[in-house]
Amino acid sequence: MKRFKIISAVIILALIALILAVQYRGKSDVSVNNGSNKELSKYTINFLDVFDTSTDITGFATSKEEFDKEANLIKEKLTYYNNLYDIYNEYDGLSNIKTINDNAGVQPVKVSSDIIDMLEFGKDMYELTDGKVNIAMGSVLKIWHDYREAGLDSPETASVPALFDLQEAAKHCNINDLIIDKDKSTVYLQDANMSLDVGSIAKGYAVQRVLEYCKANGMNNILFSVGGNIAGLGARADGDNFKIAIQNPDLESSNPYIEKVEISDGQCVVSSGDYQRFYEVDGKRYCHIINPDTLFPAEGFAGVSVITDDSAKADALSTALFNMSIEEGQAFVEKLDGVEAMWVYHDGTKEYSKNFKDSVIE
Amino acid sequence: MKKNDFYLIIGILIATAIVVIFSNIITRKDTAGAVAVVTIDGSEYGRFPLDRDVTERIEHSDGAYNVLSIHDGICEITEASCRDQICVHHMSVQYNGQTIVCLPNKLVVTIENSNNDDIDGATH
Amino acid sequence: MKTKRIACLGLFIALAFVLSYVEFLLPLNIGIPGAKVGLANLVVMVALYTLGKKDAALLSFVRVVLVGLTFGNLAMLLYSLAGAILSFLAMLIAKRTKLFSITGVSVLGGVFHNVGQIIVAMLVLETGSLLYYLPFLIVIGTISGVVIGLLSGMITARVGRLFDIK
Repeated sequence: MKRFKIISAVIILALIALILAVQYRGKSDVSVNNGSNKELSKYTINFLDVFDTSTDITGFATSKEEFDKEANLIKEKLTYYNNLYDIYNEYDGLSNIKTINDNAGVQPVKVSSDIIDMLEFGKDMYELTDGKVNIAMGSVLKIWHDYREAGLDSPETASVPALFDLQEAAKHCNINDLIIDKDKSTVYLQDANMSLDVGSIAKGYAVQRVLEYCKANGMNNILFSVGGNIAGLGARADGDNFKIAIQNPDLESSNPYIEKVEISDGQCVVSSGDYQRFYEVDGKRYCHIINPDTLFPAEGFAGVSVITDDSAKADALSTALFNMSIEEGQAFVEKLDGVEAMWVYHDGTKEYSKNFKDSVIE
Repeated sequence: MKKNDFYLIIGILIATAIVVIFSNIITRKDTAGAVAVVTIDGSEYGRFPLDRDVTERIEHSDGAYNVLSIHDGICEITEASCRDQICVHHMSVQYNGQTIVCLPNKLVVTIENSNNDDIDGATH
Repeated sequence: MKTKRIACLGLFIALAFVLSYVEFLLPLNIGIPGAKVGLANLVVMVALYTLGKKDAALLSFVRVVLVGLTFGNLAMLLYSLAGAILSFLAMLIAKRTKLFSITGVSVLGGVFHNVGQIIVAMLVLETGSLLYYLPFLIVIGTISGVVIGLLSGMITARVGRLFDIK
């Protein structure tokens, strides 16, 4: 009996060790415990349908189904804003920015308050940035857009627009010709040759609105990444701040990220850079951000990133800073509350606003 | 304690051990290691383990193509028919959740089941 | 003998309550939700072997409800109740078969307590990921079952006669 007991005890201990060892090794590391015994896992979905860019939604949820439900709501909302702020495509039964442009000099267009609010925000940004962000610059941007498209289609014949054409177009970029009638909910472009291009603010504005929608509907722990616009709601499931990598504008570099930052609840990071959308003529890169003063692509930096608590503002500010000199930019950021920026030069050197480094990790 | 008590304990543990070992073998099959999941316009095209070197030419219905290359545990697009070549210039990916996107061809490469690099998102 | 029975039962419930409190004060913190040594099961075991199955069942139920309402929340009460019921049924059947000593019965009780808890937790939280913890809980249930079983064997042998009202 004694021998039996000893052998049994040894077998039991061996089995316990085996179970623990096998099971512990199989533990997945994506699951995290948020403290309330509810298992949250990290999920990400990607889609390419909105704002002509790649969108990632990252969230923490107890199941894939729960996450998909939220992600689909978010996608629906983003698609709604995408269609509303589209300047190239028409949608059945929807008056969008293209409808306004098509009716320039013809008649006021009745539009949704979501368009009115966004355009008013655009006017505010024009004021704030002293014209460095101008949504009424569609005529100039269209020329560059057409040349860029042609240049990408056949790189051998890529060319740069003539300054004269750009200057002619620039005569029709007066933001005051954008007439917003809030009472009648109409928008009218009183210069027949002008058009709106909301590319510098629409994406950020939409992300901010969707973020607020999510918050109002009780969602939490969600990170949006719509192209260069990143905005976070809440924190990671483990309570830590979201950690965001800022892409290295030098795409050939072995170092994919130029900086890593963390953002607290409601903060966002937006990068503007000449690496995002560009074409080349005779080996020279022409990017999609056009300086309203020179009517040519801004060349001072490879990229500018802004951290602030409003995604719409961040989008506009990163464009504005890209169009300013470093001295102007530093002074501009200094003036604003809760806005920090990082400038990256083409040689990879960086400059920071006063408190940007507070957000940098490592 | 009776002999039967020992048999009972050993029995419970053996049953648990068998279930644990089998469930680990089964789940290991699809979590064996990092994979690059390729989707075209939202539908899955294929899954490529990062531990197996491979070069795959992905043909699209309109004659466009992307060449996916996996080597040394990293995944990159080495060639593409798209005009902006952003996917080709894009850095190679290897960590969980990292993506390479080719907008013109509606192609997305996502890394799954890999290590986390502790980054939740990245600006593009 | 009715008065003695009621007095004994009251005493046992108080004891089980105190042991639950001790366990609440010293949680087995190994990062696994629901993992417990199950000190209170000691009292249930002794009751099962001295007072009989009806009183032991009552004791087990009252203890869970009391402890749940005092120290826990509704969810915890639900988990504990499921664990307690499953564990009690397992012990009852094991005892009936007369195959095992008090230790074997206790081991089954410990294992099924944890199994019941995790099943309810999985249903409530609608997640299968908790299944991962089950092997750990079975191992813990087995070990604590042996210890509780040996202890309750000793107690039943020494003081059981005092409570033996049958």
